[in-house]
Amino acid sequence: MTALVTPAPHGRSGRRVLRARVEARAAKWGRRAGTVAVTALLLVPFLPILLWAFADRWPYPELAPTVWGVGGWLTATAQGAWPALTRSLLLGLTVSAIATPLGAMAGRALARGRVPYGKMVTALLLAPVAVPPFAVTMGLTTVALRLGVPGVVALVAVLVVAAVPYTTYIMRAAYAGYDEGFEETARTLGAGSRHVLLRVHLPLVAPALAAAAFLAFLVGWSDYVVTLLIGAGRIVSLPLLLGASASASGNDPTIAVLALLATIPPVLLLTAVTVLSRRRTQR
Amino acid sequence: MNRRTASSRRAALLVLPALLPTVLVLGAGLGAAVIQSLGLLPLVGKPELSSAAYRALVVDDVLTGLGVSVAIAAASTSLALLVGATAAVLVQRSRIGGLAAVAAAVVPIPHLVGAATVGLLLADSGLVARLVGAQPGTFPALVGGPWWVAVVLELAWKESAFVAVVVLSSLATTERDLDEAAAGLGAGPWQRLRRVTLPLAAPALVVSGTISFAYVVGSYEVAWLLGRTYPEPLAVLAFRLFSDTDLTMRPQALAVAVLTVAVAAGALVAGAALLRRVAVLR
Amino acid sequence: MSATLTITGLTRWYPATGAPTLDAIDLTVPAGGCVALLGPSGSGKSTALRLVAGLDTPDSGTVLIDGRSLAGIPPELRHTVLVFQSPRLFPHLNVLDNVAFPLLVAGSPRGQARDDAAQFLDLVGLTSLAHRRPATLSGGQEQRVALARALAARPDVLLLDEPFSALDPTVRAEMHTLLVELRAAVEPTILLVTHDQNEAAVLADTTAVLLDGRIAQHDRIDQLYARPVSLAVHGFLGGRNAVAGRVDDGAHHSRLGTLELPADVVVPRGPATLVVRQEAIRLVPTDRRADLLGVVSAVTARGARALVEVTVAGMSLTTESGPGERFEPGDRVGVVLPLDQRHAVPPATSMRSGESGSSRDVLRRATT
Repeated sequence: MTALVTPAPHGRSGRRVLRARVEARAAKWGRRAGTVAVTALLLVPFLPILLWAFADRWPYPELAPTVWGVGGWLTATAQGAWPALTRSLLLGLTVSAIATPLGAMAGRALARGRVPYGKMVTALLLAPVAVPPFAVTMGLTTVALRLGVPGVVALVAVLVVAAVPYTTYIMRAAYAGYDEGFEETARTLGAGSRHVLLRVHLPLVAPALAAAAFLAFLVGWSDYVVTLLIGAGRIVSLPLLLGASASASGNDPTIAVLALLATIPPVLLLTAVTVLSRRRTQR
Repeated sequence: MNRRTASSRRAALLVLPALLPTVLVLGAGLGAAVIQSLGLLPLVGKPELSSAAYRALVVDDVLTGLGVSVAIAAASTSLALLVGATAAVLVQRSRIGGLAAVAAAVVPIPHLVGAATVGLLLADSGLVARLVGAQPGTFPALVGGPWWVAVVLELAWKESAFVAVVVLSSLATTERDLDEAAAGLGAGPWQRLRRVTLPLAAPALVVSGTISFAYVVGSYEVAWLLGRTYPEPLAVLAFRLFSDTDLTMRPQALAVAVLTVAVAAGALVAGAALLRRVAVLR
Repeated sequence: MSATLTITGLTRWYPATGAPTLDAIDLTVPAGGCVALLGPSGSGKSTALRLVAGLDTPDSGTVLIDGRSLAGIPPELRHTVLVFQSPRLFPHLNVLDNVAFPLLVAGSPRGQARDDAAQFLDLVGLTSLAHRRPATLSGGQEQRVALARALAARPDVLLLDEPFSALDPTVRAEMHTLLVELRAAVEPTILLVTHDQNEAAVLADTTAVLLDGRIAQHDRIDQLYARPVSLAVHGFLGGRNAVAGRVDDGAHHSRLGTLELPADVVVPRGPATLVVRQEAIRLVPTDRRADLLGVVSAVTARGARALVEVTVAGMSLTTESGPGERFEPGDRVGVVLPLDQRHAVPPATSMRSGESGSSRDVLRRATT
C-alpha cells in the first residue's frame, strides 16, 4: 500500500502554474482567433457571387463594381432561369417524396434488427454513396434506351437510388433512438393503429423525417452529371444552365445570378428544418 | 419460431421498396457498364467479347488520369479533414457562435455553385487577383493551371464543411463531459485534444474522409469547370469519351467508368478496414 | 498526498437566478478527513464542487489547499479530482488505460503508468477486468474504475459528486464499504456531495447541511439530529416534532406544559421552538411514569417500525414504535421525552427573513 500513498509524480511549483496560466490564456485567444478565421474561410466563397450578381460593369482591376445593376438577372431570365429553377424544384421534390418514405420504412426495419441478412441489406442500401453516379448512369442509359424507359423516369430512378443511403441512414438512427413504449402507451390509452401513426409515431420522428427529406431534396436539386447524361441536353435544370453559363466566358454576372438562385432554396430549407427541430427540442 | 419468421417477413417487406430500386439501378447500371466496356453491347457493329477497350486505355494516358484523380481526391480530402476537424473542435471549445451554422449552411450548396464561385474568386481576373493588385498576366494560373489549385480548394471547402458537421454530431455532448473529467485528472488543453477529443472523433473522421474521397474520385463538374484540359481526371476523361461522336469510343468510356467505380470501392474498403481499427466505441 | 481544503466566502450567482446559488460558504476539510455536503437538490452542492475543481469560477471567495489559493489555476493543475454521478470513463480506452490516464498525462512512461494503475485497480478489486472496455461494465464496476482512476491522480482533495446515487441499494452499500476501506488505505481528503443522510452518516466524519446556498450547520451527524441549529435543519433531516413556546429558567413552556431542557442546550430567554426527534420519543402504558398523556390518532406502517401520531393537549406529536409494539387509534398512552433528547431552537426559522411574520405567528400560537 505504501506505493499508493507516495507523493504525486508531479510537483506544484510556481513556475509550472505560471506556465499553465500563460498556456491557458494563449489557448483561449487561439481558439477565438481560430474560430473567426475558419468561419471567414468558409464564408469567403459566398462573396464573389453576392458582388457579381449585382454588378453591371466591373472592369479589372477595380475592387468593386463600377456600375451596379440587375443586368445579370435580365440575362439569366432571358436564358430561362425561372423555368429551369421550377424544373429543379420539381426534380428535388419528386426525389424527396419517393426516397424519404423508402428510407423511413427501411430505416425502421433495420433499426429493429429483424431484417434477414441485415448487414448485407444495409451495405447495399448505403452503397450508392460510394458509387460514382456518372458511371452508373453511363451504363444505364444504354439499357434504358433499349427498354424504352422514358428519360425522366430513368433520371428520377437514379437520383432516388442516390438519395436512399441518406434517408435510410438518418431514419435508422432516428428509429434506433425511438422508444416504442410511446406507441404501447398510446395503445393502452385507446388509440387505434391509425391514431398511433398520425398522433404519436409521425410526430415523434418528424424532425428526422424533415432532415431526411431535406437531404433527398438536395440530391435532386444539386445534380448535374446525371441530368446531363440522361437528358442529353433536353432536360434543362438550373445546374445545367449554370454549367453552360460557367463554361463559357465573359458573363460573370449571369453566372453569379444563377449560382445565387441555386444557393437560396437549400439555405432557406436548411433554416426551416433547423428551426423546426429546435422548436421541438425546446418544448 | 413462427412469430419470429412472421416478424422478419414483415421487416423484409419494409426494406424491399428501398432495396429493389437500389439493386436494379446499381445492378443494371454497373452490369451494363461492364458488358459494354467488354464490347458485348455495342451501339454499332457486332457484339464481340474483347478487352480492347481496356488495352486501349493503358496506352491512352488513363494511368495519368488515375493519378490525377487520386491526387486531387487525396489533397482535397486531407485539407477537408484538417479544416473540418479544426472547425468541429473550435465549435466545441469556443464560445463564439456561428461557426456551426456556417458549416451547416455550406453543406447543401451544390458543388457546381462552389465551382462557379471559386472560379470568380481565383481566376486571373477574379476577386483575389484584384485584391492583391496583380498586373494582368502575372497572376498564377490557379484555375486551369498545372496544380489543380482551384479544383482542390473548391472540393476542400465543401467537404470540410461536411467533415465538420459529421464530426460535430459524433462528439455532441459526451465529449464535453469527458473533457471535464480529463481536466480534473490533470490533462492540459493539448493533452486533452490528443488523448480524448481526437480518439473520440477518429471514427467520424475516417467515415467522413472515406465518403469524401470516394465522392471526389467520382465527381465530374468541379474538375471539368476549374481544371485543365489535359491530363484529365477519370470522370472528365470518361465523359469526353462517352460524348465522342465516334461511337466506337463508348467501350473505352465505360472502361474508364468501371475503373472509377473500382477506385471508389477500393477507397471504401480501405476506409472500412481503418474504421474497424479505430472504432472502439461499440 | 492529502491536504487541508479550506473554502472561505465562496459565492456564485448565476445571472438568471434571483438569489445566489452559493452564498458566502465557509468550510474546512482537514487533511485525510471526509466532509459531506448534504442538501436537497438545487441547494448548490454540485456548484460548490465545480468551483473547487475549477470547472466554474466563483463570483467571490477563495478555495485554499494547504493555505495556498487556487484562484486562476486551471482544473488540470489543481490536484482536485472530481468523480461524477455518471462515471465518465473514456470509451476509447480499456479499464487499465482509463486508470493509467492521469499518470500518463502527468508524464509517466506508459509501462510504469500501467503498473502503477494496476495497483489502484487492485485496490478497488477489479484486477480481472483490466482489459475490458468500459461499455461492458456494470454501473457499480464503472464507478469503481472511476474511483481507482481518481485516486491514481493522487489528488490533494477528492471531490465526490453524488457518485453512488445512480446505483441500486445493494451495490450502493458495497460502494460505501469500499470507500471506507479506501479511506483507511490511502487517506485522501474527501469532500462528498450527497442528498442521502445515510450516505453522509456512513462515509463522512462531519456533515455540512447546505440549505438555499448557505451552510446552515456543520457538525457530526448525530449532533445534527439531536441538536439542530434551526427548524430548517431539523425539518430537512426529517424531524417531525416542533412545538412553539418560550424558554425560561432552562425549561420550555408551551401547551404541553413545562419541559425541562438538558444543561448543554443554551437558548436565550424568550420565544423558542421545542424539537424532539420522533425516534427519541417513547410511548408507555398510562400506568407508567411519563412526561405527558395522550391518545393515539393515527398509525402508519413503515416496515419493521411504524409511525404513531399521538394527540397531546390538542397538539400532534409523531413517534416511532419499536418492533413488537402495537398501537391502535384511540389507545391512551403515556409519552416519554427523554431529557437529553430535548432541544430548543429559535423560532425565527428562515435565516433570510428573520424579521418576517412567521416568528410572531409561532409566538402568538404559543401564548394562546
